[in-house]
Amino acid sequence: MSLSVNVSLETADEYSVQEITYDGQEKYTQPLSMSENLTKLAQRIDFSRVNNYDDTEPEKSDTVAEEKETLQSAVWPWESVRNKLKSALTELCVLLDDMNVAKDKRYLVLDPVSQEPSEFKPLTALVARKKALAASAAIIQNGVEFLKSHQNDATRSRAMDFHSELMTIRQNWRMKKVGNTILGDLSYRSVGSRYPHPGSFEVTKAPTPQPITSPSNVPSPRASSLKVTVASDLEGVSYIHVNNDTLASGDLSIPLPPVAVSSLESSWQQKLENAQNVLFCKELFAQLAREAVQLQLPIPTLVIGNQIIATLFPGVQLSIGLCHTTVPNKKTTEKQQQTPSRNEHKPVLEHSLHQLLREIHYNSLHHPMPHPATATLGISRKMYFAGPEAYDRHTLMEACKSETMLEQIISQSQHVVLRLRTMYMIDTLACEIKDPLIIAHWLCLNSATKSSVKINIVSYGYESQSRTPLVIHVGVKNIKAICRDGRTFHMSYESQELRYLIMSQVSQHQINAIQALSKLMGWKVLSHNVNCGVGPVEMIGTASSIVLASPNGDRMIAVRHGPQSGAQVSISLSPHEQDFYPSTLVKDRKWQNINGGFKEVMWEKIEGKNLVSKIEYLMACLTNF
Amino acid sequence: MNLESTRRSAQQEYILQGSIVNDSCEILLHRLRGLCDNGDAAPETFKDHEYVYTIRQPNGQPLTLRVRQSLEKKDYPWHLRYLGQPEIGDKNRATLVRSCIDVACSSNICTFLSEMGFKLDYEYISKGFIFKKGRMKVTVSKIFRLLPPGNVNTDEHVSQSYLVEVSVVAPTGQDALAEEIRSFAEQLKPLVQLEKIDPRRLQ
Repeated sequence: MSLSVNVSLETADEYSVQEITYDGQEKYTQPLSMSENLTKLAQRIDFSRVNNYDDTEPEKSDTVAEEKETLQSAVWPWESVRNKLKSALTELCVLLDDMNVAKDKRYLVLDPVSQEPSEFKPLTALVARKKALAASAAIIQNGVEFLKSHQNDATRSRAMDFHSELMTIRQNWRMKKVGNTILGDLSYRSVGSRYPHPGSFEVTKAPTPQPITSPSNVPSPRASSLKVTVASDLEGVSYIHVNNDTLASGDLSIPLPPVAVSSLESSWQQKLENAQNVLFCKELFAQLAREAVQLQLPIPTLVIGNQIIATLFPGVQLSIGLCHTTVPNKKTTEKQQQTPSRNEHKPVLEHSLHQLLREIHYNSLHHPMPHPATATLGISRKMYFAGPEAYDRHTLMEACKSETMLEQIISQSQHVVLRLRTMYMIDTLACEIKDPLIIAHWLCLNSATKSSVKINIVSYGYESQSRTPLVIHVGVKNIKAICRDGRTFHMSYESQELRYLIMSQVSQHQINAIQALSKLMGWKVLSHNVNCGVGPVEMIGTASSIVLASPNGDRMIAVRHGPQSGAQVSISLSPHEQDFYPSTLVKDRKWQNINGGFKEVMWEKIEGKNLVSKIEYLMACLTNF
Repeated sequence: MNLESTRRSAQQEYILQGSIVNDSCEILLHRLRGLCDNGDAAPETFKDHEYVYTIRQPNGQPLTLRVRQSLEKKDYPWHLRYLGQPEIGDKNRATLVRSCIDVACSSNICTFLSEMGFKLDYEYISKGFIFKKGRMKVTVSKIFRLLPPGNVNTDEHVSQSYLVEVSVVAPTGQDALAEEIRSFAEQLKPLVQLEKIDPRRLQ
């Protein structure tokens, strides 16, 4: 370092600018005074480091300390420095005293302490060592056991693991993490439901599954490491009970199917599915109840507790109940199983209720896309056309009209009732009326509110000759029948009307069958009347009649068939009697050839399986060759 | 036609725009299908023919009306649209806002506009995909020139990229929707950058 150049350090003339005011004036920071500067510098000294030298050079530091002590009268900011120095001085004085006492040896002598060698006991050491070894062995053994069992579990099923199970649940359900909890969503909101229930569930880690000690070696269901908690009102199982009674049962307790209860205690998947089903049923019932209150029917619908009652036909009611059980009580279920429940559950209607609600969900999300692309979103197609097509009020009202879910289910159940009645009526008639056979074909293509049946009326043994077909459409509240000749009959829900129709069709069939037979036998039809005006009045419908003449015209058969009175057969012969006795009035034999009066045949005595075969027999007898 | 007076009651369109090159469009469509409603169905396509008509107002300002016709569904009504001046707004506003008036109309609207004195300014074909998420409408479309004029089955595309638009039409003052659109746009971020684009600046 060369000393030839003097380097002088001094502070800059300008003080540093503290701030510039809005009018441009600069404010400087005030420079430190000498004493302030000294204080600032002194505060930078680290006295703790200086203290380290005290042990080695006590005398020197002492002098330094005393030197510094002179400054203790300084201004207040020196307080900390003073305190530190004072404590350092105290320590040094104590050290000095200690050293003096040790040096003089007058009061105290420092001697090395003689240590007695401890007695070596081999037996106790052995025991202690053994104990320690045993303890450590136990720890290692525990660890091995734990690892082994863990590995076993892992190899046995991967699903046992919490995280892999969480992954599985994540794949099947909507989940999210909020803070430290894992929440899932059961609700149908993502598919268009507007039901306000939150429908959330929580997933937690189950307490470590205890080894299940089952008495037998039956493989118990593996305990899951996931625990699923659903809202308390979603626990258990529920379903919608639909039935149609002839009378109000007044019985609000609805039996639960035992199958449903048995599935209560099972995996989280089942539990979640059950809870979701409960939620769905709740929404369905809430929707139905709301509609039931709003619906204006001639006979108002009733909502009582968990049941909705609507009148389908006079005396026939539809009851829709929400059934929900949380605690599986085996006793009650067994009791319910034993007592045959009067009101039978209709799974088909329940299914269509589910379908209806799902359709509502679907429609709330699936709006038609706008075309062209700039057009307004979320307007139904009909409304979109309303402006440009200039729909009138009536058309708009028609477009806005939509059937509520309850109305739809009512009409579906009405159809079900009507179909069952029709079916029963046709079956009973087919059993009652043996003579022409009544064969019903139910078409497999039908909708929830429309089905049709084709009825064939045939005579046994003469199927190919005469067949009277009849098509019956079963609607919601009425039945339509289309006959062979194209006539259409509209009937109400009273199946008695259908019964009368079929009976009159049967009666006409018999006459038609005889007519067809006459063609085959060579007989001539003299008259054929569907609505015969003579004879006793029928209770229902009208009687039909046919008059036939034998091939050579000497014999005649007249048949009258009424829906209720049955067949009445008369014959007349052209020569009245074989022998002729001239009288005063009828002198010539030729008058004998005029047809005589009709004589009724004792129909029961004629041989034959049915009317047509009896007629055939009769014709065969009467024909002259 | 005093559009300003009806502006108060008019609907407002909140819109963000962006573009994506052809190659990456497929990825964007997959992403949109996952994000938007009804992902189970195939994305809905559209092909629209847009005519832009202008008329000079007494004060010299041109007034523009847009007529759209769906070429895929020809029986659907035509669509007449007025779009106001876009408002960029400050940084806090998430989307472009412009007033808009939508009218469905019959197919003789072009004749009607011509009779009124409107002149056909330009026309183009917009073809692409349309998605829906809640009230949001997302379109990914390609613009085609009609070359030669009147040729609807043109393949004369304007650029090698697709126009992506996210928009909601709502009554005035629903600024929460803008946030909704922005958060949706955030989810498309690495693929497509949706921004407030002022057409006046592009010119």
